[in-house]
Amino acid sequence: MQREARVATGGYVSDLDVGDVLGPISYRVKPFTVREYCHAVEIDHEAFQAGDAAVAPPTLVHLDKLKLYEAACPAGTGPTARVHVEYDAEWHAPVPVDTDVETTGTVTERFLKRGRTYVVTEIVMREASTGTALITYRDTVILAYEAQSEAAQ
Amino acid sequence: MTAPVRLPARKAQMPRPGEIFELAPRTMTRERMRWYVDAQATAVANDGKPRFGGPTIHDDDDYAISQGLPGIIADGMVSTNWLFSLLVEIFGPAAAASGRMRTRYIAPVYEDDVLHTSAKVTAVEYTGDTRSVQLELRCARADGTPVTVGEATVRITDDTD
Repeated sequence: MQREARVATGGYVSDLDVGDVLGPISYRVKPFTVREYCHAVEIDHEAFQAGDAAVAPPTLVHLDKLKLYEAACPAGTGPTARVHVEYDAEWHAPVPVDTDVETTGTVTERFLKRGRTYVVTEIVMREASTGTALITYRDTVILAYEAQSEAAQ
Repeated sequence: MTAPVRLPARKAQMPRPGEIFELAPRTMTRERMRWYVDAQATAVANDGKPRFGGPTIHDDDDYAISQGLPGIIADGMVSTNWLFSLLVEIFGPAAAASGRMRTRYIAPVYEDDVLHTSAKVTAVEYTGDTRSVQLELRCARADGTPVTVGEATVRITDDTD
């Protein structure tokens, strides 16, 4: 169900609903963060891990969702742990380290399927200085691993 | 605007439809799961200091069990990143220049699961000076059960060669 966009400014992540707008958030893509992340997930190429790491992997945008959640939902996750079910990203240009970016998210779907609540968030990371879209990302989560009815939440 | 970054493509011959690329099998240890949890906390803080994340269903057995799971499971982004690292193996850093990747987590990955990460080239298209390579992605347990599946497109332009 579509409804008028609203800025999410509080509550739990599990309360998010269609039309909620998260952010924008702004930050600088720091080489330290890129190196730590790429080391942890074993992206071993020097372009991502060297002292002068050049570029962020397009998977790092997934963590912008957590930054957006943190900004928009200060009460936290909610009663249950989320489970990520789908990553779907298109990267339009490289994201060099030291780029200032601005990211916004919009909750575009919330639906019940086999007793589980799915939430889809569409996220756009832009270069702050130009507004150029660098990555568009569609994230899908279920709000709880255990199946339950929407009414029970 | 930030200066454009030149991301070199691998000089090897462009992959052809039907070719399959694989990473060496990797065991999903609890350390690998925790590395991601900590990297997540570090990236969100983005302040130049390493962080410990959690507790999550990826690093805390009791919490995972309280959520209805038999134990900790890997974050899906671990296998997604392994698949992206395979794209970097195939194409070089140019894999991060322009493309798309979609991964779906169709079964949980438990501690000590041995994952086979692969990418199969399904099509190569040429548009002007850009080669667009489409791939089918898969992470599977040793018995062949897929846990993460998806597809990717990597666009390589001549100026990244």
